[in-house]
Amino acid sequence: MPGGDFSVETVQLDLPALAAAFGRRLRDAGLPVTAERSARLADALALVRPVARRRLYWTARSVLVTDTAQVPAFDAAFRAVFGGRGAPAAPEPEDLRRAPAAPDEREAAQDAGTPPEGPPAGQARSGAAQRRRAGGEDDAERQAAVPVLASAEEVLRGTRFEALDPHELAEVHRLMARLRIATPVRRTRRHDRSRRGDHIDLRRTLRGSMRTGGDAIRLARRRRRVAQRRVVMLLDISGSMEAYARAYLQFLTCAAGSGPRAEAFVFATRLTRLTRALGSRDPQRAIRRAAAAAPDWSSGTRIGDALKAFNDHHGRRGMARGAVIVILSDGWERGDPALVGREMERLARLAYRIVWVNPRAGASRFAPQAGGMAAALGHCDALLSGDSLGALDEVIDAIAAPRGSAAALAARWQGAAPEQDDNEPWASATPVPGSSVAMPSGYGPSRGRTTPGWTT
Amino acid sequence: MSPREVTGTAEGEVRHLVPDVETLARRLADVDYLVDEGLATGMFLSLRLPQPLLLEGEAGVGKTEAAKALALVLETPLVRLQCYDGIDAAEALYEWNYPRQLLSIRLADASGERLTEADLFGPDYLIRRPLLRALQHPGPRPAVLLIDEIDRADDDFEAFLLELLAEATVTIPELGTVTATHPPVIVLTSNRTRDLHDAVKRRCLYQWIDYPSPAREVEIIRRRVKGSSQTLAVQVAGAVARMRASDVQKPPGIAEAIDWLAALELLGVERLDAVAIERTLGSVLKYEDDQAALRAAGLEQLVGAGE
Repeated sequence: MPGGDFSVETVQLDLPALAAAFGRRLRDAGLPVTAERSARLADALALVRPVARRRLYWTARSVLVTDTAQVPAFDAAFRAVFGGRGAPAAPEPEDLRRAPAAPDEREAAQDAGTPPEGPPAGQARSGAAQRRRAGGEDDAERQAAVPVLASAEEVLRGTRFEALDPHELAEVHRLMARLRIATPVRRTRRHDRSRRGDHIDLRRTLRGSMRTGGDAIRLARRRRRVAQRRVVMLLDISGSMEAYARAYLQFLTCAAGSGPRAEAFVFATRLTRLTRALGSRDPQRAIRRAAAAAPDWSSGTRIGDALKAFNDHHGRRGMARGAVIVILSDGWERGDPALVGREMERLARLAYRIVWVNPRAGASRFAPQAGGMAAALGHCDALLSGDSLGALDEVIDAIAAPRGSAAALAARWQGAAPEQDDNEPWASATPVPGSSVAMPSGYGPSRGRTTPGWTT
Repeated sequence: MSPREVTGTAEGEVRHLVPDVETLARRLADVDYLVDEGLATGMFLSLRLPQPLLLEGEAGVGKTEAAKALALVLETPLVRLQCYDGIDAAEALYEWNYPRQLLSIRLADASGERLTEADLFGPDYLIRRPLLRALQHPGPRPAVLLIDEIDRADDDFEAFLLELLAEATVTIPELGTVTATHPPVIVLTSNRTRDLHDAVKRRCLYQWIDYPSPAREVEIIRRRVKGSSQTLAVQVAGAVARMRASDVQKPPGIAEAIDWLAALELLGVERLDAVAIERTLGSVLKYEDDQAALRAAGLEQLVGAGE
């Protein structure tokens, strides 16, 4: 990559023709090169008058690149069009992972018109409520028309994802599109007008006082606006999670579609940010793009390294601060479990709550013995199985639960056997291994103990 | 959308000061800000197109300093807007001076004057926040407007900035649209805590700032700590590079390297060794975990074998 000192390397090029070819190639590589940017490049080239390939490189890069993740793709396209040292290297999938869809692709997705399923996000308060409503209203017609399908849906809801055939899985994906994720709220620094607010709104009070000769008879009030917390989903796509990863990816798509404050990552041996890839209106397209973006499907797991990468590059910078973190993994760690514990502790210091979804937790004889899981346990606020469509409702409830509330405890195990008594309370909470790790003050005594009890 | 128009004299002034990329790089070096060709080209284009410049990079690589250096080169004021969660127009653009308005109402009442709403919501009662100050800068050269850590502000604020970024105008309901006489040079910085909206990126030039090479870093920190010794600066740059390469949570930036060198100079340290590092570690590593990890690995390793 060019850089460093200003040495001169003369090139003779037909710039307009090459610039056009360059723009096309960048578009193919997924960079958002618009006509506006191309015109800006022409202006910039007129200003800079590139005498060297390096100058041309930096001029084009300043104008055309909008994110550091696009740089390798840009470099490859630049080498291919304008030449340079070495053969043009094929851009790695990683380079494209955050490149947004080409505008035509987005429009196509919108034109295709995915029918809106379920009520908008704002209406659904929790997964269970949503599910009840869906069952009561949305499905009323379907049940009346095709009763067989409705009962099939009941079966699907209780079936573990790994036991589904591809056809059933597609049906689950369709049902899952109705799920909406809501997070606990936090107070922002913005204000709304409110009759019973805590603060006096001076601007409006003064306005009002103009009508009464300068005497503020009525005090206008305002109060802090609240906003939903960010939710960050980390999905394990290693070999041991293979049976669940596709279904969970759909779940991530729902999360990404439920608002601007959602982030999605997948990891096996490396961490890949999928937020942009999943931001499509068409879930199937989003999943295809996400699958293409992560190169390490079904490989080994390095949870500790993935968590560390997340903490170093995203969490510490602010993404995890005050957020609800959802980790979907079976906790089978090929690396050092101590690293998992350390990184979970770091994450717990930043996050509002951590919800761990482990499909193996649904098994009746489950014990958190997998190295990574045992190390992480002390830092989780809730552990759920989420191994079936019905169990995902509980995950959604756990995401919406405020910190330290009893509601988090209410999420119960969804056993392997669907006929299990759902009302059985899970009162036999035993001390959680690893919970002796000192928690920073301010998190309350409940942190680390809100996990339902273990059976060993 | 065409690049926004610049009034003739201001454009002439800027063109005179920075006729080409090399001159800009030289002038930046004169104010002790050293740039590589990529950043120089980006800053040049930002000044001359003109177009807002979005800078991203690790904490402490000199994103904010870039804007300060530009202001020094142009000999204009730097107007800085530090973004935070929930920042809104009243804090970024303008607010009305309520105590003064109330006082005026009382005075008008006492003296029997007639005071209209238009009087009260006029320029006399306007508190100008950074964005408005930058727009109303009288010249002759444009002010430099630094919108720092834009990723900390929320989406609503980003949307609010679009008009400013594209047209160098803002709209105040009580006063109408304020158009800049000399559109400010706008520099935005982001730490990438979240992706900025495409609409913001579309209006900006983009530049990623990397850590400098050790040789370049020695030059930078020696310029910032006047009278520091070459030997010590080389050792500090080397140690900082090793810290970045090691497994620390918060790799030290150039800012930390400068602080460290200044601390060592103040203590009269001539050569970096384990004892000197131990005394001053707090000025370069700000996490107890990081300090412990490096102590465990042996502080003398940071000095390097050849020295």
